[in-house]
Amino acid sequence: MRLLSIYLLLCCQCAIAADALSLPDWSGVWERFEGNGGIFDPSTVEPKDGRAGSPGVRQYPPLTDVWEARYKANLALAAKDRLPDPISFCGTPAGFPRLLALPDVYEFIVRPEQSWIITENGPNIMRIYTDGRDHPLPEEMWPTFTGDSVGHWEGQTLVFTTVSMIGEKKTVLDRSGLTLSDQASVSTRMFMTEEGLLRAELTIDDPVALREPWHVVRHFRKLPDGTRVYDYACAENNRNPITEFGQTLTLDADGNTIDIVIDNKQSN
Amino acid sequence: MRSILSRCRIAITIVVAVSVIGFVPASGPAMAHHSSAMFDKSLVRQESAIVREFQWTNPHVWIQVYIENESGEQEEWSIEGGGPNSLFRKGWRPSSFNAGDVIEIKFNPMLDGSRAGFFVGARLADGRTLGAW
Repeated sequence: MRLLSIYLLLCCQCAIAADALSLPDWSGVWERFEGNGGIFDPSTVEPKDGRAGSPGVRQYPPLTDVWEARYKANLALAAKDRLPDPISFCGTPAGFPRLLALPDVYEFIVRPEQSWIITENGPNIMRIYTDGRDHPLPEEMWPTFTGDSVGHWEGQTLVFTTVSMIGEKKTVLDRSGLTLSDQASVSTRMFMTEEGLLRAELTIDDPVALREPWHVVRHFRKLPDGTRVYDYACAENNRNPITEFGQTLTLDADGNTIDIVIDNKQSN
Repeated sequence: MRSILSRCRIAITIVVAVSVIGFVPASGPAMAHHSSAMFDKSLVRQESAIVREFQWTNPHVWIQVYIENESGEQEEWSIEGGGPNSLFRKGWRPSSFNAGDVIEIKFNPMLDGSRAGFFVGARLADGRTLGAW
């Protein structure tokens, strides 16, 4: 019996090793290829070089009328610097799918049973289970920033679905005020292009916020070998507190507010 | 320090950057961890300054500098930069600025006129430059 157990264990380990050899090489350090202005969906942003949160800059996902109205209201607040980005409080992660559109760098770690997306900014850690498990039962899930991701490999393509994301209550997709509901789900395909970019194709479904599936594509480019990743400790020296009315302030080196003009009323 | 400022001071230059000078990216400051709405991204102010302190910290670096005002008085300004991680990968170092360094610095000033700005570029005492110069 003992010999049989050892034999089975070795077989299992050999199978995992063989699986590992068949996985693509996504090692190294990467950065987002497009959307340097923080825009989540570069394909629908207008104007094309617009920055998220700047007046007159928006995207055109297939929002329902109700959520289009919400987006317009958020756009108006963002243009007046009265729609704080949740991550600007230095307390919560960006969450998925926004974590595919962050500044700073990325690591993509693939294993047969699980893959990780690690973002320096935040930081965010996303776990994608590929060991055959399914999403938890509804009564065993609650909305989280990164949600629950399960998937599999189709050749060199990582295919996974993400559900149970926290949505508009605590996250935005970018500083234009674009949001999804906590009923959203995302189907993602990630693979290396012939040009050496890592490509993420997202199909976003949201029975509450979207009229139809929303397709978003993002790319990542590899940085030179030897590039290091560092701590991102947002609360270390955050000199930009946000008022109860949403205005971002600036502190001097002694912690005193520099701003001359500070709103003390709720913005409409 | 006052005499150093007097010797090195250049005329305050406020440049309408987008239309006159091509060194400012059209997209404005690199994405900060917070809103950049408080900065006038259409203007670049250039000053001669003396470094008081360089804060190499997350989520952003800060350069505390003394700038002489029109009355000849020294005023402390807070110049905010990007995150140390990304700046390091662009060639910045924790020792890029040191107390007492005499530099020229360009920044997007605050819209409300308060003494702060977002870093655009700097020329160090040894002639090296950082950022857009």
